[in-house]
Amino acid sequence: MKRYLIRRILQVIPVLLIISFIVFSLVFLAGNPVALMLPEDASQEQVEALTESLGLNEPFYVQYGMFLGNAVQGDFGQSYRYNQDAMSIVLERLPQTLELAAVSMLFATIIAVPLGIWSASKQNSFVDVFATGASVLGKAMPNFWLGIMLILLFSVNLSLFPVSGRGSFMHIVLPAITLGTAIAAEMTRLIRSNMLEVMQQDYVRTAQSKGQKDSVVTYRHAFKNCLIPVVTIMALQTSSLIGGALVTEVVFAWPGMGQLLVQAVNARDMAIVQACVFVIAIAVIAMNLVADIVYRLIDPRIKYD
Amino acid sequence: MKNVKRNLKWMKVTAPFLGAFVLAACGGDQEDTEATEGAGDGEAPEVEEDDGTLVIGTGTDMVTFDIHDHNATNTEAIHVNMFNYLVKRDDDEGFEGDLAKSFENVDDETWHFTLHEGVEFHNGDELTAEDVKFTLERVIEDETLVEHSNYNQIKEVNVLGDYEFELVTDGPDPALLNRVSRIGSGILPADYIEEEGWDHFLSNPVGTGPFEFSEWNRDDSVVLERFDNYFEGEVTEWEEVVFRVIPETSTRVNELLTGGVHIAENVPPAEWDRVNDNDGTSIVTGASNRVMLLMLNQDDEYATSDKRVRQAIDYAIDNAALTDQLLGGHGTPVQTRITPGNTGAHPDLFESYNHDPEKAKELLEEAGYGDGVEITFNSPQGRYMMDTEVAELVRGMLSQVGITANLEFLEWSNFAEMHTNGTNEEMYFLGLGNSMFDAGLGLDDFSSGGSDRTGYENEELDELLSQAAVNMDEDEREEQYQKAQEIVAEDLPSVFLYQADAMAGVSDSVNFEIALDETLYVRNIERN
Repeated sequence: MKRYLIRRILQVIPVLLIISFIVFSLVFLAGNPVALMLPEDASQEQVEALTESLGLNEPFYVQYGMFLGNAVQGDFGQSYRYNQDAMSIVLERLPQTLELAAVSMLFATIIAVPLGIWSASKQNSFVDVFATGASVLGKAMPNFWLGIMLILLFSVNLSLFPVSGRGSFMHIVLPAITLGTAIAAEMTRLIRSNMLEVMQQDYVRTAQSKGQKDSVVTYRHAFKNCLIPVVTIMALQTSSLIGGALVTEVVFAWPGMGQLLVQAVNARDMAIVQACVFVIAIAVIAMNLVADIVYRLIDPRIKYD
Repeated sequence: MKNVKRNLKWMKVTAPFLGAFVLAACGGDQEDTEATEGAGDGEAPEVEEDDGTLVIGTGTDMVTFDIHDHNATNTEAIHVNMFNYLVKRDDDEGFEGDLAKSFENVDDETWHFTLHEGVEFHNGDELTAEDVKFTLERVIEDETLVEHSNYNQIKEVNVLGDYEFELVTDGPDPALLNRVSRIGSGILPADYIEEEGWDHFLSNPVGTGPFEFSEWNRDDSVVLERFDNYFEGEVTEWEEVVFRVIPETSTRVNELLTGGVHIAENVPPAEWDRVNDNDGTSIVTGASNRVMLLMLNQDDEYATSDKRVRQAIDYAIDNAALTDQLLGGHGTPVQTRITPGNTGAHPDLFESYNHDPEKAKELLEEAGYGDGVEITFNSPQGRYMMDTEVAELVRGMLSQVGITANLEFLEWSNFAEMHTNGTNEEMYFLGLGNSMFDAGLGLDDFSSGGSDRTGYENEELDELLSQAAVNMDEDEREEQYQKAQEIVAEDLPSVFLYQADAMAGVSDSVNFEIALDETLYVRNIERN
């Protein structure tokens, strides 16, 4: 296990190198940020002076080399917009994004686990049809639309929750539901289909024939054995929540990394984009690692050596 | 025993998620307290309880407290509450003292200023001429600062006493007062910055304004508190002001409707009904200093190098139709970029436009394009109020007279690059402000030494612009700029469309008027 972990951590290095190259190339191709940094009535001399002072007149490989050299030392450069260390700006936002991701995941799990199990154990009943229909609907609704609808209903009409921003617990409810709905939908369907499959297994029948209670059979014997794909989905979704809550964060004015990234891309703030992508990449890798470890805990037969 | 083991395993399974949740929750707590201090705890509708806090919803966050290193109107809109300029523009295209008690033009290159005594910075230091020297020298000497090129015309700052100093310019600079009453013109506390360092200042900014810094949660809110020792006394009834960042327009409007903010900036026409139909909120509009125009390229390869084609474009467009039909009357047709409120404005070219499709056809015929002409037309999308619709209507109007404009929308960063590098083709749609509030900056594009965007050259205009740039005789200078605008309106290196209005949704509980420079002077906002 330890050797496996070390190997996995070392694998991170080439992955990050490749990611940094791709992102740097894309941002480079997107063009020169100077046009966006200066006012629309800036003179040609101002443009040239600023281009030179930022080192943007150097060829691609020199710029990339400089970037890599600094990045290794944890320096992702200065944000053009904020005139401040890019990584520290990104890390400032990380807790807000993690908070939203965690609550969304919690919401999805609380909905999906009982609903998935219930609809599997009562296949073709009303509950099952409802759960399947709700999952399709939940998955089909785009985030931004759901977010705006939730605001209109619960904030504007019913005045139950604040419209946007971050502060009390009430602020997180609507964005978490917005983000969690699609995940809950996917997890419900996954749990249902896995449960249906597991319920046909010999060991479940054995447990039933031994006369164990339904709940014991369902939770202890069946549900536990369908957890591996569920954990996989949870890990993937958590990492995509960390990097991908862009639209939801903008709709709810949630001051997280997603909103920062959207603005940085619009302003071609290369340093911030790089730092964000780096943090997201680490998050994805870390979540995958967590999933691998969790597999081992769920199913001791899985060995990594 | 088995059960215990099983439970342990379960805990291991759920631990990473729970851990992340707890961590995030703890991380959040600290900020929660901070955020709630300013924005209320979000139990809507928070601003209806009149607790002395004004909440303004803006579309983008401010970028920095470095007053010299940004050119963003929305950043300056916040800074003006924390810093004072030496002088400020009055309502009549003139200037009045702000930190300066008096000011006078001694000779062509020298300006003498006397500061108010007893002006206190937020940290308790007293303002002196040394602070002015420190502030101006910073932006004059540091070439990397964005605002450097707007201040380096000042050659020297000579301190004559605690409250007296002179500004010496590099040659005559009739626009000096404009220069020191705009973005980056706030005065910084020299001792504080020298003792604590610049980075400390950026996170704990100190000025002389009626509000002092409280906190800045990026992309969330900027909170300012009333400064009780403000040198002009108690000028505002608000104890606290919160600038909340709400990027999504519909969310910003929803916050206004539910009482989450008093003022929601930049509300597009599509949302007006929702705001006006709601009890207790309405749309407020006011002129901005931004003029929407079509930049035309005069390079020989383009049909727009022919003055008659440019005039045909001008005659083909019904400016009033653009403002009336698309902007609900919230815009003013113009034939110049220099609108009232700017030094050198030409009254005859404001609220006026050419529209005569028949004449446009004749001009095209004369120019040899009787069978029609095809041009490229670029426009940004989603940048300005109704920009897509305006560009499409302009295209339609041009097609009526035989000009086929191939309209291409560009994403803003590509558009900005085209504009800045002058790689534009025949025509593009653009809005230009004028942070100097002076004709000189607004007409610079049309001088031969100006940008490559228009490729326009006119010796008479060059002569007028270079004379006016150093002419210390106010009246004569104004005439020169007005003459220059007449030449531009005739030759049309750009076709001017309209002066755009700015719009905000406002709660009936406050009295808010849009300022020409689109700043948010909180002291001018009052409770109703």
